Amino acid sequence: MATLNITINGMSADYPLEVDYALSDADVRRIAVEVVRSGDVAGLRLPHLGDGAFDHYVVDRFRGPQGGERIYLRPKVPFGA
Amino acid sequence: MRIVFCGVGALGSTAVVLCRNLDATLCLVDFDRVESKNVLAQAFVKQSIGKNKAEALKLQLQNFYGVKAEAFGVKLTQENVEALCGAADLLVDCFDNMASRKLLSDFAIKAGKALVHGAVSGDGTFGVVRWDERFTPDAEDVEGQATCEGGEHLPLIGVMGAAIARCIQDFIKAGVRRDVMVSLNAVTPTAG
Repeated sequence: MATLNITINGMSADYPLEVDYALSDADVRRIAVEVVRSGDVAGLRLPHLGDGAFDHYVVDRFRGPQGGERIYLRPKVPFGA
Repeated sequence: MRIVFCGVGALGSTAVVLCRNLDATLCLVDFDRVESKNVLAQAFVKQSIGKNKAEALKLQLQNFYGVKAEAFGVKLTQENVEALCGAADLLVDCFDNMASRKLLSDFAIKAGKALVHGAVSGDGTFGVVRWDERFTPDAEDVEGQATCEGGEHLPLIGVMGAAIARCIQDFIKAGVRRDVMVSLNAVTPTAG
């Protein structure tokens, strides 16, 4: 069990990932497109999201405080100054 | 306590102003100059236009708040990183490019310095504050991609500046290395 957090258009939300195998970054991006298109992620429904919408996104993986895996799919953040 | 802010543009200048309450020496490193468009998204005032950003922010801190700071109006390089950052108790990366972030990160690892990064997306809708042990610098999607120079992204920059300042203050007061993720609908703790 992992939690996928998706950020798109400035909005961010969690989606529970009930898979029992290790997901590649490509798997994460593909799943994210499907669940955002279908409206399964609260507040992030985008029915016409393109297949490559997350191609340039970064996949970060961390252990959550309770030990579960947290996967963040997020835009790149190159800027600061 | 000596805090070295590397890059005092949009994120850096905003974070510095929100750290003026700290009992710390604030050191500002930036080679760039304040342009008129910068006052829309950065903590500079009209009177600072044309000045070096580090010097301008130092003067503003002194004149507006009576807070003393040190300014270094130079570009951080392999040759001067030890001189500029060697005495720091905390390094804060608010640079706008991957090469400078990596240079600072490499130095922090080598010198055993605490380093926190602040970084935003090009569209101004998302940002992260992340400690070096969990941070990997991102490259631009396209070289020369537009940055946060105008006022379009000011609200997110404000929230990011506050998030960076909060992470700095938590570190100084309690030694906590808290990461956060800032989007338009949430400021979410992600570690620490």
